[in-house]
Amino acid sequence: MTMSGIAFPSLHHRKRKRSGWRGLLYIAPAMALVTVFFVLPVLFTVWMSLHKWPLLGKPAWIGFGNYVRMVSDARFMAALGFTAHYTIIVTIAIFALAFPLAMFVEKPRPLVSAYRTIIFLPVVVGLASASLLWVWLANVDSGLFAPLMQRLGLTNGRINLLADFDTAFLTIIVMVVWKIAGFTMIILLTGLQAIPAELTEAARIDGARRWQRFRYLTLPLMRRTMALALILSVTGSILAFDQFYIMTSGGPQNRMISVVYYIFNQSFVSFNLGYGAALSIALLAILVTISIFQLWLLNVGDERP
Amino acid sequence: MRTRREIRARKALRDRVAFHGVGIGTAFFFLAPFGIGFLASFRPNSESGLPPLPPWPLSGISFDAYRILDGFGSGVWQHTMNSLVVSLGTVVLTVAVSVLAGYGFSRYRFPLKNALFVLIIATLMIPFQSILTPLFIILARLGLNNSLFGLMLVYVTLQLPFSVFMMRNAFDAVPKEIEEAARIDGARDLRLLVRVLLPLVMPGIATVSIFAFLNAWNEFFAALVLLSSNDNYTLPVLMTAVRAGRLGAINWGAVQAGVAVMVVPCLIVFLLLQRYYMRGLMAGAVK
Amino acid sequence: MLKRLLATTLAYGLGLSVASAETISMWVRTGIGDSFKEVVKAYNAAGEDKVELTEVPFSELVQKYATAIAGGQAPDALSLDLIYTPAFAAAGQLEDLSEWAKSLPYFSSLSPSHVKLGTYEDKIYGLPLSVETSIFAWNKELYRKAGLDPEKAPKTWGEITANAEKIRALGGDTYGFYFSGGGCGGCMIFTFTPLVWGAGADILSPDSKKATLDTPEMRKAVDIYRNLVAKDTVPAGSASDNGVNFLTFTNGKIGQQSIGAFAIGTLVTQHPEIDFGVTLIPGVDGKPSSFAGGDNFVVTKGTPKLEAVKKFLEFTYSMEGQKIMAKYGSLPTRGDIAGEVLEGLDPRLKVGIEAIAVAKTPYTLQFNDLINSSNGPWATFINAAIYGDDVDGAFSNAQSEMQSIIDAGQ
Repeated sequence: MTMSGIAFPSLHHRKRKRSGWRGLLYIAPAMALVTVFFVLPVLFTVWMSLHKWPLLGKPAWIGFGNYVRMVSDARFMAALGFTAHYTIIVTIAIFALAFPLAMFVEKPRPLVSAYRTIIFLPVVVGLASASLLWVWLANVDSGLFAPLMQRLGLTNGRINLLADFDTAFLTIIVMVVWKIAGFTMIILLTGLQAIPAELTEAARIDGARRWQRFRYLTLPLMRRTMALALILSVTGSILAFDQFYIMTSGGPQNRMISVVYYIFNQSFVSFNLGYGAALSIALLAILVTISIFQLWLLNVGDERP
Repeated sequence: MRTRREIRARKALRDRVAFHGVGIGTAFFFLAPFGIGFLASFRPNSESGLPPLPPWPLSGISFDAYRILDGFGSGVWQHTMNSLVVSLGTVVLTVAVSVLAGYGFSRYRFPLKNALFVLIIATLMIPFQSILTPLFIILARLGLNNSLFGLMLVYVTLQLPFSVFMMRNAFDAVPKEIEEAARIDGARDLRLLVRVLLPLVMPGIATVSIFAFLNAWNEFFAALVLLSSNDNYTLPVLMTAVRAGRLGAINWGAVQAGVAVMVVPCLIVFLLLQRYYMRGLMAGAVK
Repeated sequence: MLKRLLATTLAYGLGLSVASAETISMWVRTGIGDSFKEVVKAYNAAGEDKVELTEVPFSELVQKYATAIAGGQAPDALSLDLIYTPAFAAAGQLEDLSEWAKSLPYFSSLSPSHVKLGTYEDKIYGLPLSVETSIFAWNKELYRKAGLDPEKAPKTWGEITANAEKIRALGGDTYGFYFSGGGCGGCMIFTFTPLVWGAGADILSPDSKKATLDTPEMRKAVDIYRNLVAKDTVPAGSASDNGVNFLTFTNGKIGQQSIGAFAIGTLVTQHPEIDFGVTLIPGVDGKPSSFAGGDNFVVTKGTPKLEAVKKFLEFTYSMEGQKIMAKYGSLPTRGDIAGEVLEGLDPRLKVGIEAIAVAKTPYTLQFNDLINSSNGPWATFINAAIYGDDVDGAFSNAQSEMQSIIDAGQ
């Protein structure tokens, strides 16, 4: 195994130096994997981003040409806009369902653990499987929704949900909420359960109404948990790809191209690997910025009681 | 007095009805897609193009959909085996690597410790779709392209941030006294780790295993690009062929059957090991 | 213990990638029928060499092959959608077959559009493997039910539209017409552009340097399809069909559809219950045209098994090989023996052969970007122009985006 981390052993204490080497031995396999299958590819990606690099043929050095191109690339901007739009809507939708669900399954009551389990089930199946299942349900001829709505008399004839941007977007949002809400619910649940029961009780005795207790007690104490759930939801949504690829192939008239989808198209459809690499680096920068911002949010949560 | 008790009893009843009404409605929303898809997969071929109203087979249970699914690629059994080999291999390797790393990070002090830890966690932040081409080239250089083992290594790497984080926390939670007592008894290094500490971090290992299994089992994009022969395709790759249809017509029965084959093992694994899964999830969330 | 486990897993992983020496590895895309698979079966049963076929989902074949080349792990040979041959040849990834090809006694009678697409800078990199032309099919049973003459092939789009309305009037889920309008660029270049080609227009200039989408002919063609949709003769699923249901005609509830000649074989063998007729696709002014598609046989540059590959290709060009291909729905690639090959087979296949004479194939290095990609301008244009509300916008957007892709590639 290669030793990837460069060690600078302290020369003063032999004993500490030895234990240092031993610790490195334990993490060596993990570091080797991360080096070979993560660090190298990322460095390679950076290198590629400075080239015009067709999938076939010879790469040519163009410096920051790809990054310059990015700024004036209307399709990339559209992808950024769509991804932001999607991230905001889907995160709100997930929280809007997951929060009430978490409060619903919080109190120990009969059957509550069964409900919890059922709500969580979609989380453990793959996004690809879920997308396949739902693309069938949303199919206009052989699926469930359109024929059902027709039979219930809600629509005149069968509506092709996936043919129109708004309905297709809504279908995907519902699918993702179905798939993810259980996960967010569980995270929020841990936060809820960490609130000391005495506090709630005291507030109740003080005459605080239900909404007041929620607003002035529950929410502030949940700040940290919510920040975590938010990070996971936002990061996941920014990287969304499978659902658009499998369910709408980019959506009616290309209006559902997320950033990752656009990178995929540039790299593997248009074969502009260099440009695709530059886009990946840009996406990485965006993600790091957002994560730092969110970590800061977490720390802010720490300082307050 | 009586009336007040009665009122209270009626209110409690109304509460309970409302509670379970909401509960059953919610459960239906989350279960129905599975149920409908699963039932529909047993419809005969003649019904597979019809809307699932009702979802169950009208003219007797049929395995047509599974038979058609079996006609894709090298047969569904072969692809299921591939998926199993990759998933279980990923589990074993992930556990091995992350237990060692978690122990190292929890118990030893060494130079650049925090930087290396952050580096492992940083793997989370790169959309791996974007490093797929370099990954492919590296695997080819190692002679591991189009091999299930190569795919396994990639999956293990993708699992590491979560797993190492989990295992470090699990070891952190083990009191140092236990370790010191064992050390005094003469247990050293790997032996100490395997004999004494491993049983104590079992819940963490169970968690890491479940996540590794589920993610490896469900992953389709890397498998699609990194595997290049029929015989090696995992189930999700097979499903892209099913989704693409054959002879210009998609067979929804085969799609439902494929979804069932992909989903059922996940649900079983989760239901059996739910306790560990949730425990790990919450531990991770609280930290 | 851990080490041994690792070692066994490693051995298992390596064991999978070992291949024997006299086996040719070859990729073929899904969805082109069984003809080529049957030829391989016959070859493997007879000869000493073996061909190991890998089916790759059609939508992923190009990127998979390109990635495999980048990793030095490409198969020896490939059945490549012919429109991609120029791009791959230009990139220098294919073996030059010129000398050998020209030495074949039947070289001059190989499908001309395939050889043209297989040629780059006067060198031949691809040879025809399967020929597919687009044709117009109608369901005779539904014609009869709608009171139309089932033996009379429609000659103009006016006729087709009128027939579609009459068939739709049968009600229920019977429809008069179908096309994959949900962003399937490949389907629509295949079945829809013949409408403008027949009238003499094209979507690219002859040197492929200019997008010429916005022509009166294309406007007319779009109007014809919009009208078919407006009159409810097309199922709602069409608007989101990205090609997976390209052959909806086979469900027996579609009155008319432009399909590929491959589908004749599929219909005859898989759906004997459907009684159908075929004719050439009329252009907007009635003059017929077609898209000559199918696959070219290409060889990865530097393969050590070149001789074995050539031997296999000669087998597919033999009378035996051609007959097997035709039997399973692929048109003969050799013109000189086409008559003999088709003898005793379905007479409708002859329409597919006739189409070759009026057929076109666009020659561009950017076919994928411009046309085939489901996120490209052509696929977007089709959906927006036929199903959208802003036809002018659809034209101007697609025209400018196509031009910018062409310019970026110069």
